[in-house]
Amino acid sequence: MGKVKIKKKETRIDMTAMSDVTVLLLTFFMLTSTFLQKEPVTVITPPSVSEDKVPDANLLSVLVSPEGKVYLEVLGSKDSTMKSETVRADLLKNMVAEYKKTHPSANLAFTNKEIETFSKLNAFGVPITKMKEWLNLEPDQRDKFLESEQNPGVPINMNEDPNNPNEFQMWIRAAYNSVNPELQESMVKGRGIAIKADQTTPYSVVNVVMDNLQTMKMNKFTLMTALKTAED
Amino acid sequence: MAIKSKSRQKKFDTRIDFTPMVDMNMLLITFFMLCTTMIKSQTLQIALPTNEKVEKEQQNKVKQSEAVTIIIDGKLTDKGLSDPNEGMLYYYDGMPETDKLATTGESNMKQIEFGEILQERNKEVVLKIADLKKEWKEMKFSKNEEINDSIYQEKAKKIRNDSTLKRPVVIIKATPNASYAHVVSVLDEMQINNISRYQIDRINEVDSAMMILLQGQNLKK
Repeated sequence: MGKVKIKKKETRIDMTAMSDVTVLLLTFFMLTSTFLQKEPVTVITPPSVSEDKVPDANLLSVLVSPEGKVYLEVLGSKDSTMKSETVRADLLKNMVAEYKKTHPSANLAFTNKEIETFSKLNAFGVPITKMKEWLNLEPDQRDKFLESEQNPGVPINMNEDPNNPNEFQMWIRAAYNSVNPELQESMVKGRGIAIKADQTTPYSVVNVVMDNLQTMKMNKFTLMTALKTAED
Repeated sequence: MAIKSKSRQKKFDTRIDFTPMVDMNMLLITFFMLCTTMIKSQTLQIALPTNEKVEKEQQNKVKQSEAVTIIIDGKLTDKGLSDPNEGMLYYYDGMPETDKLATTGESNMKQIEFGEILQERNKEVVLKIADLKKEWKEMKFSKNEEINDSIYQEKAKKIRNDSTLKRPVVIIKATPNASYAHVVSVLDEMQINNISRYQIDRINEVDSAMMILLQGQNLKK
């Protein structure tokens, strides 16, 4: 009487191997990731065959929106000798000094807390007279104001007189004279300033930024582009 | 019998169910994948002259026979943006023929397509670089890839700056309506065609007058 025994198969799959793989991938992504920084305007950079990578340290990027608003981003050195925070805090102090040269009567002072807030921000772009008010806003309100239409960005105009600089030019000078000698060096070499503009931006807008940099004797700079492969 | 039943221990399943763990990991992976920037943007290095007023005598005048002026024009959309696909290029050799323009209303400005002309003008350099590239591909300079690369770069630079060859000086001018993408792609064209001497300059009245004239002529056709 051979009874046919149906072998009961185990329905559970061993997930250990799967788990191993996922953990491995996770570690990889965690180690290689550099987080996308939030930017006030999203720009699509034009394609180019150039293969130079954007430096990830000692960089002052000028973000130009298609309407002509200008935002600035500052990065410190790669190692912890000159953190972005230190450079930014110093930048703001320098800027105040620069501004007072042409506006001696201006009542412009930042508390330590405000400077600390500023040093943690990736991008900024408000007139210096509004800076204090802006820094004291709640973080989400701050982002909103930066993107809003009533914010003119960093004030900039066609100005070829380096003795009477506009605010954009003051920021450039403040960055040049910052505590970070590496930033100054790379600005002189032409790798410290990057213009990031959308491909639909009319040339007249980009030209204003370029002309301002020329006035500040920053004749060498880079344009941020996206990779395009040459036909060759 | 009684002793036997006492020793019977309940067998626990030692295997742990990993499914939730995997779920969580997958979630984290997705998060990191979406937040990372794998591709870093590229940069294009440019150098402009100073804005300071230079004395007339100190200015280096470009040889007329070598100069090529390229003018980039574009169209603005309703939003005040410039359409990157609507670019137009014009060019003229040497100086604009102002006398002729004033008397007969003809100019030496022509409309061109992308990449035209430049390669032709820089032919001597382009050919030499192409030869060099062949040798580089065959690893003729060195068996070591890095050394091979650096020797190639050095030699290519020498050819680009060789004053015995006929090389054009390109003057790039852009109208306010030209799109940034178009300006960058013209700068790109300089790299592709190995042109070492180029300059971004401001557009002047003569240029715009010639452009309007040419556009009018094109419309008539």
